[in-house]
Amino acid sequence: MLSVGFRALFQRELLRFIRRPKNTFMPPAITNVLYFAVFGIILGGRIDEPVAGIGYILFLVPGLVVLGTISNAFENASFSIFHGRWNEYIHETLTSPLSYVEMVVAYVGASAVRGLIVGVIIAVIGRLFVPISIENGLFLVATMVVIAALFAGFGIIGGLVARDFDDLTVMNQFILRPLVFFGAVFYSLTMLPSTWQTVSLLNPMVYMVDSVRYGLLGYSDMLEIAPAAYAEFAPYASLGVLTLLTIGVVAVDVYLFKIGYGLTD
Amino acid sequence: MPPAIETTDLVKEYGDLRALQELSLTVEEGEFFGLLGPNGAGKTTFINTLVGLVRKTGGDARVFGHDVEDDYRQARDAIGLAPQEFNVDRFFPIREVLMHKAGYHGIPEEEAGERADEVLKRVGIYDKRNERFDWLSGGMKRRLLLARALVTEPDLLILDEPTAGVDVQLRHDLWELVTELNEEGTTVLLTTHYIEEAERLCDRVAIMNEGRKVTVATPDDLKTRGTDTISVRLEDAPSVTPSVGGYAHETTLEGDRFEVRVDDGGSTAPQLLNDLEAAGHEIADLEITRTSLEEIFVDLTRQDDRTTTRSDAPTNEEASGNETAGDEGKETPAREQEGIA
Repeated sequence: MLSVGFRALFQRELLRFIRRPKNTFMPPAITNVLYFAVFGIILGGRIDEPVAGIGYILFLVPGLVVLGTISNAFENASFSIFHGRWNEYIHETLTSPLSYVEMVVAYVGASAVRGLIVGVIIAVIGRLFVPISIENGLFLVATMVVIAALFAGFGIIGGLVARDFDDLTVMNQFILRPLVFFGAVFYSLTMLPSTWQTVSLLNPMVYMVDSVRYGLLGYSDMLEIAPAAYAEFAPYASLGVLTLLTIGVVAVDVYLFKIGYGLTD
Repeated sequence: MPPAIETTDLVKEYGDLRALQELSLTVEEGEFFGLLGPNGAGKTTFINTLVGLVRKTGGDARVFGHDVEDDYRQARDAIGLAPQEFNVDRFFPIREVLMHKAGYHGIPEEEAGERADEVLKRVGIYDKRNERFDWLSGGMKRRLLLARALVTEPDLLILDEPTAGVDVQLRHDLWELVTELNEEGTTVLLTTHYIEEAERLCDRVAIMNEGRKVTVATPDDLKTRGTDTISVRLEDAPSVTPSVGGYAHETTLEGDRFEVRVDDGGSTAPQLLNDLEAAGHEIADLEITRTSLEEIFVDLTRQDDRTTTRSDAPTNEEASGNETAGDEGKETPAREQEGIA
C-alpha cells in the first residue's frame, strides 16, 4: 500500500492544503473563535450547565471539533476531486499506474488529515477559553480518525457527483450543516422531550458528536438515554458502527473510481 | 515482443453515437505512427481508451501486450501522453508537477527531481521551473505537456495534436525532439491535422474517419494511391475534347489547355503525347502535377465508400504496354516537368 506512487499522491494532496493556510486553516480558526466567544461566553454565561458538572463552553468543545473536522474533511476531498475534474488535471493521477485503491486511500487519507488538523486547531482554541482534560484518549483518537475518514470518503463521492461548484456548496450548506447543528453540538439530548430524543437518534451526527464528547469529556448522552442493558457499551457500539460505515463508504469510492464514475467518458 | 498498440474491433459508443467502430489497429514497437483524420474522427477517443480516460464499449485494446482494463497498471505505466488540452495541476510550480507525475509512476523523489530538471531542459523551459502552469505562455504550456509525457521515460509516447496552434520555431523544435526520441527507441503515436507533419515524421499513418480506419500505409505508399494530372498546352485550341486512351480517368479542355487525370503521370505522358499527335494536335507545353498527400487525405475522408486505389484503373504495366516506340523528342519535356512537379 505504501508504494512510491501512493506516497507521491498522498504528499501532493497534503501539500495542496498545507501551502494554502489562508484558505484551509484560517477560516475555521476564525469561525470557531467567534463560536466560542458568542455562544460560549456571551450567551453561554446565561445558559445553565447542560449537564451537571460541565459548563456550556466545555460542552461545546467536542461538537465544534466534530463540526470542523468533518466539514473540512468533506470539503477537502470534494474540492480536490472536483477541481481536478473541472480542470482535468485529475488525468495526471488517472493515467498513472496507481491502483484504484491507492488513489482513493491517498485522497481520503490526506483529506482526513486536514479534518484532523482543523479538529486540533479548534480544540486548542477551545482550550484558550476553558481548561480541558482528555478523559478517554485512545477512544477519542480512534473516533476522530474514523469520522474524518468517513467524511473524506463522502467528500470523494460528492466530488465525483458534482456538476459544478454550486453543487459542492449545496452539499456542505444544505445537508452537512443542518445534520451537524441538529446533532447535539450545541445542546444535550437529555434536554429534549423524549420524542425528539428518538428522532435525533436517526441522525448519524449525533453518534459522532456523542462519541467525541465521550472521548474528550468522559460524558455521553448515550450512556444516559440508551436502554440500561446497552448503555455501558453505547459509545463503543457507535464507534464500531461508524468504523463499518467508513469502510463501506471507502469501498464505494474505490468502486466509483474503478468504473470511472464522473472521471472517464 | 508484443506490438506497442494492438486493438481488435474496438468500439466506443456514446448513446447512439459510435465514436469508434470496430477499430483494429497495430502499432509495432519502435514505430513512428501517425493517426490522421478530420475533427470527430475518433482519434482522441482512441488514445483516451489506451490511457484509461475512456472506457471502451467493446473489443480489445493492448499496450505492449497488457490489456488496458485488466492490466491497466502495466499498460498505463508504459505510456507518456501529451494531450490536446492543458490538463495540468495548477496548484504547484511546474517542476513539482513533473515530480508528482514521476512519483505516481513509482519513481523515488530524488530521481524524480533529477528527471524533472532533465526534461525541462530538454524542452527548453528549465528557467521557468518555479513558475506555475497558468503563468506560462501558450508555447511553453505545449512544451510542458511534452515534458510531462517524457518525465516517466515512457516506451510509448502519445502526442495528441502537439503542434496545433504553435509557432514555426516550436513546431520544428518538437519535430526534432520526437524524432530523436524515436531514434532512441521510443514508439511514437502522433495525431495531427497537418499532413506535412505526418509525411515528414511518420513511418506509417492510419487515416480515420467517423470512428473507422479508412486505410493504413506509409506516407509514400499513400501518395502513389493518388492520381496525377498531365496538363498539355496545345498550339491550336481544339473545338472538341480530344479523345485519348483508357489510361485517362478524366479529361478537361479549357481553351488550348487540355488536362488529363491519370494514375502515373511520368509513365503515361509519352503515350498521351503520341495519342494527341496522332490525332493531329501540336504540343506546345506539358506539365505533370502529383496529387499531394493532403488531397489524398481529403479524398479518403470525404467519401470513404469510394475506393481511390489503382485497382479501378489500368495498371502501370497495362499502360506502359500500350506505349509506342520511344520518341525522344516527346519524352524529354515529360522528364523535365516531372522533376519540377
